[in-house]
Amino acid sequence: MQEILRMILVLSLICSLSGLTLATVRQATGPRIEEQVMTYVQGPALKQIFADSDNNPVADRRAFTLGDSTVTVFPALKDGQLKGVALETSGRGYGGDIGVMVGFSMADGSLRGIGITTLKETPGLGSRVVEPEFRDQFKGHATEPIALQSQGGDIAAIAGATISSTGTVAAVNDAVRIFNQLKDKLPIAWGS
Amino acid sequence: MNRLWKEFSKGLWKDLPPFKLVLGLCPVLAVTKTAYNGLGMGLAVIFVLALSNMLVSMLRRFIPAKVRIACFIVVAASLVVCVELLMQAYAYPLYLQLGIFVPLIVVNCIILGRAEAFASKNPVHLAVADGLGMGVGFTLSLTFLGSIRELFGSGTWFGMEVAGAWYKPVTFMIEAPGAFVCLGLVLAGMNALTNWQRKSKGLEAIEGPVHDCKTCGMCAGKPGM
Repeated sequence: MQEILRMILVLSLICSLSGLTLATVRQATGPRIEEQVMTYVQGPALKQIFADSDNNPVADRRAFTLGDSTVTVFPALKDGQLKGVALETSGRGYGGDIGVMVGFSMADGSLRGIGITTLKETPGLGSRVVEPEFRDQFKGHATEPIALQSQGGDIAAIAGATISSTGTVAAVNDAVRIFNQLKDKLPIAWGS
Repeated sequence: MNRLWKEFSKGLWKDLPPFKLVLGLCPVLAVTKTAYNGLGMGLAVIFVLALSNMLVSMLRRFIPAKVRIACFIVVAASLVVCVELLMQAYAYPLYLQLGIFVPLIVVNCIILGRAEAFASKNPVHLAVADGLGMGVGFTLSLTFLGSIRELFGSGTWFGMEVAGAWYKPVTFMIEAPGAFVCLGLVLAGMNALTNWQRKSKGLEAIEGPVHDCKTCGMCAGKPGM
């Protein structure tokens, strides 16, 4: 009996100490990790979309509340003027959610292009949504309606990867919906 | 002092983890595509191994024998999660490269093996020396293997261009089979070197595998288990 009590006591003590340590480390590194993820995951996608901006969209990002959720918006500035914004949404793919960064031009509200942030699709098939051949179809596209050719739109799906293509388009449409709700608040937020 | 050095240095050659003990092969084979990845993985293992040895040794009088493995794993897992968080915060590109193999350090045989075979039976300073030695040996091995594979597989070393433009990289070397072939060649080379050393001392050459049961203890002294 005493042995069992001792085992329970020691193991619980070690586990709670370990939990305490991990919670502390997590709290201490949390903000920095978020910054790093933004720089290395969202950063490259943003660079693909806004090649000519002269600010750092990650550093200048801002969160907006929309209903009961928050949306992070990344601005692209040139000479202090807000040229475009990007926001990240996700659509359901074949191997999990596909994260898509969708860029909008502030001038006419058209799409500036998309970049893929999270991708777990089948290599060689669904993973081809990152290729320019597919991605560039969104460049300069009007924000409505965006649909695959099979749904009556003009976006050519990737052969053999309908689910991945559909998921990406759904993410883009989601971003368009959010952008339309935020559109009027954006120029004020970055002072131009 | 002498003893301290002995425990540290055994991890550098005599019990070199991946090549002599042939333990912890998963990261050895999987992440050594480049020398940089090997080095990064090795540093993470040094951190976990030295601290887990220290903690296990400190706690060895309090831990009841029946739950010792569970305790060792909790200690190792906590340290690994710390490493993972720190790596995400301060070396995110490396974290992206190593991916799942960082959390997998928990199940690396070396960590549990050293805790069980050494740290739980020895005082703190020797346990730390043992952990550091094993860790440094592991790091050197991974960096060495990574260097070979990167040199032949991409013609670079730590990302620097080494071979000229004329060199056609052997991509086989940076793929998974290349890791096995490379490991085999390194083991063969080390065995040849050992036998050559023994011969020059007038000893008989070793044929077949040898294993020093004193330093391992994984099978509890019952070979063949």
